Amino acid sequence: MNNESVKKPKTGVARLLEISMEQKPLLILGVVLSVISTLLQFAPFIAVYFIVAELLKNASTPELIDYVFIKQWGIYALLFLIGAILTLYVGNMCSHIAAFRILYNMRVSLSRHLAKLPLGYFNRQSTGAIKKNLELSVEKIENFIAHHIPDLVGAIIMPLIMFVAMFVLDWRLALVSMIPIILAYCFQLHVFYSKSAKIKVKRWLDSQERMNAEAVEYVRGMPAVKVFGLTVRNFLRFNNSIADYREVTLEITKTYKHPYTAFFVLLTSLLSFIVPVAIFLLSGQPGNQALALVIMVFLVMAPGISVPVLKLMYLGGNLRYVTDGAERIDMIYAQEPITEPVAPRIPENYSVRFDNVCFSYDDKDAATRTEALKDVSFVAGEGEITALVGPSGSGKSTIANLIPRFWDVGRGSISIGGVDVRQMGTENLMNTVSFVFQDVHLFYDTIEENIRMGNSAAGRNEVIAAAKAACCHEFIERLPQGYQTRIGEGGTYLSGGEAQRVSIARAILKNAPILVLDEATAFADPENEVKIQQGLISLIQNKTVIVIAHRLTTIREADKIVVIDKGRIVETGRHDDLLLHEGLYKHMWEAHIDAGAWELVSEDARKGAQIQ
Amino acid sequence: MKRIIYNITSGNPRSLIKPSVSSLLDGFCKIVPAAIILEIFNVIFRHFQTGEPLDSGRMWLVAGVLIIWMLIQYIAYAWAYDSTYYVAYDASARGRRNLAERLRRLPLGFFGSRDPGDITTMMLGDYTLVETAISHHFPQFISGLALPLLAFVCLLFVNWQMALAMFISLPVSVLIIYLTNSFQVRLSHAHIKAKVDAASRLQEYLLGMREIKAHNLSGTRFERLRLSFHRLMKESIKIEGLMGPIMMSAIGLMRAGLTLLILTGAYLMAAGSLTLPVFLVFVLLGTRVFEPLQVVMVNYAEIKYAMVSAARIMEIQRQPLQYGTDDAPQGNRIEFDNVTFAYEKKNVLKNVSFTIEPCTITALVGPSGSGKSTITRLIARFWDVQGGAIRLDGKDIREIEPEKLLSRISMVFQDVYLFKDTVGNNIRVGKINATHEEIVEAAKKACCHDFITALPMGYDTPVGEGGCTLSGGEKQRVSIARALLKDAPIVLLDEATASLDPENETNVQRAINALVANKTVITIAHRLKTVRGADKIIVLDNGSVSEIGRHDNLVSGDGLYRQLWTLQQQSAGWRMKAV
Repeated sequence: MNNESVKKPKTGVARLLEISMEQKPLLILGVVLSVISTLLQFAPFIAVYFIVAELLKNASTPELIDYVFIKQWGIYALLFLIGAILTLYVGNMCSHIAAFRILYNMRVSLSRHLAKLPLGYFNRQSTGAIKKNLELSVEKIENFIAHHIPDLVGAIIMPLIMFVAMFVLDWRLALVSMIPIILAYCFQLHVFYSKSAKIKVKRWLDSQERMNAEAVEYVRGMPAVKVFGLTVRNFLRFNNSIADYREVTLEITKTYKHPYTAFFVLLTSLLSFIVPVAIFLLSGQPGNQALALVIMVFLVMAPGISVPVLKLMYLGGNLRYVTDGAERIDMIYAQEPITEPVAPRIPENYSVRFDNVCFSYDDKDAATRTEALKDVSFVAGEGEITALVGPSGSGKSTIANLIPRFWDVGRGSISIGGVDVRQMGTENLMNTVSFVFQDVHLFYDTIEENIRMGNSAAGRNEVIAAAKAACCHEFIERLPQGYQTRIGEGGTYLSGGEAQRVSIARAILKNAPILVLDEATAFADPENEVKIQQGLISLIQNKTVIVIAHRLTTIREADKIVVIDKGRIVETGRHDDLLLHEGLYKHMWEAHIDAGAWELVSEDARKGAQIQ
Repeated sequence: MKRIIYNITSGNPRSLIKPSVSSLLDGFCKIVPAAIILEIFNVIFRHFQTGEPLDSGRMWLVAGVLIIWMLIQYIAYAWAYDSTYYVAYDASARGRRNLAERLRRLPLGFFGSRDPGDITTMMLGDYTLVETAISHHFPQFISGLALPLLAFVCLLFVNWQMALAMFISLPVSVLIIYLTNSFQVRLSHAHIKAKVDAASRLQEYLLGMREIKAHNLSGTRFERLRLSFHRLMKESIKIEGLMGPIMMSAIGLMRAGLTLLILTGAYLMAAGSLTLPVFLVFVLLGTRVFEPLQVVMVNYAEIKYAMVSAARIMEIQRQPLQYGTDDAPQGNRIEFDNVTFAYEKKNVLKNVSFTIEPCTITALVGPSGSGKSTITRLIARFWDVQGGAIRLDGKDIREIEPEKLLSRISMVFQDVYLFKDTVGNNIRVGKINATHEEIVEAAKKACCHDFITALPMGYDTPVGEGGCTLSGGEKQRVSIARALLKDAPIVLLDEATASLDPENETNVQRAINALVANKTVITIAHRLKTVRGADKIIVLDNGSVSEIGRHDNLVSGDGLYRQLWTLQQQSAGWRMKAV
């Protein structure tokens, strides 16, 4: 977010226009057509002018009136109207097609960009926000391109033409018609751009935000609220925020009342300004037929000017909303993608080496405490099992996440077979390493495809073999359509343990030489647990395994145990060796043995525990 | 129509009257000057027609009226302003409050079954939409329709041919919109489908990013996403392209009114049955009467949109509330009497009967999906049973006021919600009037004290919305501290909470032990080892009770319990080792 680029990127409307220019020809065509349509819409007034002129000229001698001429103008008006509608439609389509194309390109390029970002960017919280940006913020831009630009052009051109026409007809009357419009704008500027107004709007936004926050808390916390009987307190807090929001809104409404009213009344009362001047002018030259004609046309035409002017005002308000969307999108673009090497290198063997690795999370708002690694060095030997052990928050998950470059290290380096992971190229790296994590994401697809993700070239038999090895085959066969059953989104949902086994099957199919896995099967039911364990056994054969261990019993036989505390390695060794020292590992082991013996106990035993 | 109005006001249709009346008044005020101007046209025309001197006195009179009219318009507009905005903001504040109150009284199960994001959107976004619909769109809709009708009736008396020419296109264009409505709906279905599809693909893409990267799938998965975006673009263009002509012809027909007017006027004047001043007034009105109608057309879509929001709000209003007003009885004996419960048409519990004696530990055991957690949730009235009864000390819990029942129960489940408040206050949730000492005491018992004092501001450290800055195990212990402070006689527990944070397992276990002392405990057990000492173990299978007994009896039997026990013994000794 602190990406103040050197080029000083464009913001606001300028940025929006920059985005729009991607479809320049189509967009310009759309705008031109919409201008033409606006011009054509002006035609009825011209018809009226000529009709009135003809009638007025011969007012005292009606027999001389050329009715064919009058009818002709009536038909012209109709033709122009048809032209106006056709150009409007075509122009409209041009702008919309341009807009939808831009939207599409933007979504595609954003998605592509996202795939290049370090995975650390995608924690659960931000996924929702990113999704919202790709959907809504991008949608807002459609509004700008397809509606605002043509509307804006129309809203500017229309009054402009009218004013020009009016000045050509009579500059005095034209000037008078401008007075109420200028006055109205003065009122508006005064209201919206004064300092006190800005403060009020800020207060309004603040109170709205507060209300939103309270609502979220009210709903999310509802179960807790009910269980602890806090309903009244919480309800009151939310209630107060609603009342407060209402107060602020009403107050703002009140301050705007008179300027707003004046604005509207002025804009719709152009006649009240024109008539006196018209009378004054006409009284000076009562016989001037041309002047009378101009006055009549003015009186018919002038009120129409308020429509585009009002439109312009509404557009101004919406624009702020759109630029906000563009800013959010640019925030995603501003995220630095992960760097790819020019010439990816292939590792010589499959040992993993950490060399003085330092790392800190720079995301300040994600946590009050930042986990970090300091000078972490160790080697996970090829074909060996290396276990990472430590209290929660010690950094062992971070170590595992750095290997696939979910983040890049701050200092030091991680290398596989002598090649820095940053030099391997993402594709290469991912082919070398597989992962099995606690939370598994299954795609909305058949279960067969979900397993085949591990190796897209795998044939059906290979998929089934992997499923069997991961103890999935049985439950998959029991699904309504077997391997063709769709997972998620209205399809079948798998239990956590089953999903975990599918992810093991994926990894088996992938058969990458290095395996990073998170041993945590706490939530699985007994049957699943046994199956997951069986699956893991077939998975880890002949691999370099790095395991994040939670239950120490599982990793007693590991070739190397790396004990981590507060981001540093405190001990390294085999289980038996580590137990010989009075270190963290020994403490953890003892606590673990205790925990394993825990029982929820009844009365008598419990009293014993309390005395303790 | 009735339903629309009912929905859009979220069940309070009267709130529309004032804004509509004022909107009409405002429209009326705008039209009147056009009628007054007729006199000016008359005077000028007569001057040229008959050659008599220009009656400027009469014209000044008109000018005077026009200026006074500005004032009247100002007053009317100011009044309209008050009545629309005040009413709308008031209504939505009241509506939000009602909804909040309603939510409070819904069964707890409702909150588990709905995405909380959805409900908040409803309270905020949906209400804002309804607010604007009431304050702007609906009144404009009314006046946009009523004004032309009113003008039409008046103008019929002035010159019926002209009036007809002016308005004839209106019903035709309304008819077009009406007839194509089903077509519109069909079109937007395809569009909405494309949109929903793109949204799901995007969600999948973002959530599955790790897997996508890990398996080098950015190509294929991206292609699916791209295709869905492409389809969305095509559908969007299609809907615009097909709807465009319909809307254009409707708008065009409406605008044609003015042109038709000129055409008819030309013929009528040629026939001598229309004078120039009247013609001019018609033209003047022709430019203004249709302007609110155009607004209506634009608003129509927005009103429809707001209706969807309103309907969602109404749906919540229709959710059944929980009944029961009695106090909870003294005792803590819990009895399930032939309980049957189905959730979303799926049978979860079938004829479950058992009793839980006060101050004993009862464990619920069974494969996942067997109904263990449903039983604990039914005790707390997350939902009400459909058959049979659950009794507390002999009293059907459906007769007890939900809040009073809950005051007797503590729950420690896997999902913990922490309020956006300090850690201390989050513990205080258990007992509102607790002193700081009591809080510290509870925190110590729940093994929270150490990590809390290590936080930057100790007990006064704020925790984020949803409590995102604490680890799972820490949140869990805070929730136990809450429960300790609450000190309710019945404890509902999920044993898995103890292993949420394997590294701190012993701490959580100690905390749980403190919590269950001398309580009536019902626990969902995953690791059978932990409930060996329970007074009663209820083994569930597929929603039915399959065995009840103590560990020793059950393990020596030949039932499900023994099977589960054997399986767990197997996995407990497991070691990761390449063979």
